[in-house]
Amino acid sequence: MTKQLIDQIEGEASIRFDMKENMVDFATIAFPHFRGMEAILEGKPALDALVVTPRVCGICGHAHLMASVRAMESAYADANEPVQLTAKADTIREVTLVLEMIQNHFKWIYLVIMPELAKLRPEKIALTPLKGAYAASLASKALASFAGQWPHSSYMLPGGVSCDPTHLERIKAQSLVDELISFFEKECAGTALDDFLAFDSCHDFNALESDIGEIERALTAAGMHKKGFAYDRFMVLGEHRFTNPAKVMQTRLLQADEKHVKTHSAYSPSEKTFAKNACYKDEFYECGPLSRAMASNVELIKSMHRRFKDSAYSRVMARIFETARLLDHARDMLGSLALNEDSLIPPKPITGISGCGVGVVEAPRGPLIHRVEIEEGIIKSYEIVTPTQWNIGSSVKENPTPAQLAMMGNVTMEEALFIFRTFDVCSVCTTH
Amino acid sequence: MSDKIEGVKKLFTSKSARVETNRGESYYNNLFERCQARLDELRAQEPVNRLDFSELLSEHGTDRRDFMKWVSATTAMLMLPPMFAPLVAEAAELMNRAPVIWLELQDCAGNSEALLRSDGPKIDEIVLDIISLEFHETLMAPSGHQAEKQLDGAMGHFNGKYLLFVEGSIPVGAGKEWCTIGASGENFLDHLTRVAEGAAAVVAVGSCATYGGIPAAAPNPTGAVGVMDVIKGKPVINIPACPANPANMVGVVLHYVLTGQVPELDSLLRPKFAFGYRIHDNCERRAHFDAGEYVESWGDEGAKNNFCLYKMGCKGPMTFNNCSIVRYNEGVNWPIGVGRGCIGCSEPDFWDKYAYERPMADAKLKAPTGGVEKSVDEFGLGLLTAAGIGIGIHAAASAIAGKKEDGGEA
Repeated sequence: MTKQLIDQIEGEASIRFDMKENMVDFATIAFPHFRGMEAILEGKPALDALVVTPRVCGICGHAHLMASVRAMESAYADANEPVQLTAKADTIREVTLVLEMIQNHFKWIYLVIMPELAKLRPEKIALTPLKGAYAASLASKALASFAGQWPHSSYMLPGGVSCDPTHLERIKAQSLVDELISFFEKECAGTALDDFLAFDSCHDFNALESDIGEIERALTAAGMHKKGFAYDRFMVLGEHRFTNPAKVMQTRLLQADEKHVKTHSAYSPSEKTFAKNACYKDEFYECGPLSRAMASNVELIKSMHRRFKDSAYSRVMARIFETARLLDHARDMLGSLALNEDSLIPPKPITGISGCGVGVVEAPRGPLIHRVEIEEGIIKSYEIVTPTQWNIGSSVKENPTPAQLAMMGNVTMEEALFIFRTFDVCSVCTTH
Repeated sequence: MSDKIEGVKKLFTSKSARVETNRGESYYNNLFERCQARLDELRAQEPVNRLDFSELLSEHGTDRRDFMKWVSATTAMLMLPPMFAPLVAEAAELMNRAPVIWLELQDCAGNSEALLRSDGPKIDEIVLDIISLEFHETLMAPSGHQAEKQLDGAMGHFNGKYLLFVEGSIPVGAGKEWCTIGASGENFLDHLTRVAEGAAAVVAVGSCATYGGIPAAAPNPTGAVGVMDVIKGKPVINIPACPANPANMVGVVLHYVLTGQVPELDSLLRPKFAFGYRIHDNCERRAHFDAGEYVESWGDEGAKNNFCLYKMGCKGPMTFNNCSIVRYNEGVNWPIGVGRGCIGCSEPDFWDKYAYERPMADAKLKAPTGGVEKSVDEFGLGLLTAAGIGIGIHAAASAIAGKKEDGGEA
């Protein structure tokens, strides 16, 4: 058995490999960190969750804020006091969520995937981590125009958002997004965004003289289109304009409902772990950008899936393609933002609310669920289910989680470590 | 009433609450010479890496003028007179002589994320390239065993010279053995103690490393504490806030390069150049406070007109930090700019005491002069007491932590 530590993520993870003839036979995953966020939330005034939960994670705190505020709004509905949201408030929330995803994806491409790919194909990949940092900083500046700061904002509230942007803020955000799009075109894709989005086959990536072209070619050369397969079933639970909840079995779209989601303690026989495995009706599903593209019928990704299924290749390219789609989406949403509506329609004070609520959003890595029980404005219980719990759980060999399955079989340990990264790990979210 | 005012007066005039921006000519001349000697000494040293600052600046299309603008702003931020600007510029160029080791403990990596987009003349580059970030678990290239080797190497090679940045709290209670790091499964406390041993100074970045932060929120499931609670006999500098402002992180490194010393600290070991005044002192909505114009409920007319957020629970009047000047994300915005008020994230216990929408007057805070404010409508008195509460907490916390009243230069 060999233990490998995984750094360069938020927090730390370790994988223990059982090898057979130099190939991975089985692997268990442990996350040896813990803070106890759910216990901390119990007994606190409900709105404190808007300050505490974003701090679960330094890279997707905004998704936590949105899940938290949605959970509270759902508790209002449960208490027969439905909360109204103007289109403006809804758009601003959505824009900032999308911008957070964009910054995450850029960092993942340049600070994780390229260096990891370089370990498999050292002669092919030029490392430029600062490109990722620069792109991410543009996205978070645009985000901060509405959210005040990034990371860790608390600007959403039941009933809307606290900011009341003028044309000035909108123009500022638009110019940052435009700059980011130009950067993407020039420095990442090597082609115009619209042309990139109009690709109809993964051959089109192959011809690009750019970082993305380089990644695509290296993935193929490393055989990643033939490796890293998981269950070929996908889960999307968050309701957004860029995707929709669905359970995808190969290519069939079925309905999905958050209420069937349960977590179990992770299996880690030789090391302590604070992780849990998330299951839908006791089955494992993969989540994240590939799942979202399948659920919302993105033609290019569906055609990629026909050829390469849920391989490591598809997983990486789907996230890259999602980055482009989200850039386009952010630009559209900023253009359509109606500034003259109210930012917030105040609901009844939360101190008068008793009820249960659920908030579901698509975070950069997949569905994020917050479940809350409130009694007269005080949190009775709080549960957080994070995307990494879906993808990177740790279970027994007979019933592996998506990441375990993807690392098993005909892959070397080196390849398995790369495949592990294609899921985009977040340790601090997993254990919270 | 009169004892209240007397108490507040005392707090305002206490030594630790004072920021000295003019120390007289002889002080600055003396400091100037010391800095110059320090920089000469650094220049003579082997750089930790071979990166050339001017080359990098021109490579990234930043011209000398932009750089000098940044230099003036930074000199002012460090509360130094303009004559220090050339030295600050030189210090920036000599940043590659300052080895930095960065540890992540019980955290969310938010401060590292914030650092990745710090501002200045492409300070991303300064931080990632020029500052010799010898070891950073999230940012560096090697991982696992290789990374541990690199850490040991850096600790040995720069023994006694490196600045140790720590992000995240340290579980010393039930969670002590739950959180481990590295292949040997070392717990955070042992890990930190070992790496701090050879550090010139330890910089606690973010509220978790400073005071325990969110992980230390009641009931503090893991027994999380801050760096200053466990590291003794070493200069500790606290840069709280959630996340800490990258400008202040760079400021501390720059100050260290420039003077070879820890900047002047307040009673909570925070550099006074960044934490010497309150959010409220320089708030863009301050005029509305003075005029008695408040947001009374979220989304009301006051909110639409950017009125003061005090009644919505803004903790600006008792929070010491420079965000109202430096702002966040390269100066794009800050929380009060989006109408949600300050949560006091650079103050101890913000997570339990004054999180969302709890006006200070209603918070479970005991004013140092006794009694808790009930009505914010008596805002004149409210303000004074509030300011007193802020400072009172400092005094109380430093008494508990056994810190001396005046941090001073180490």
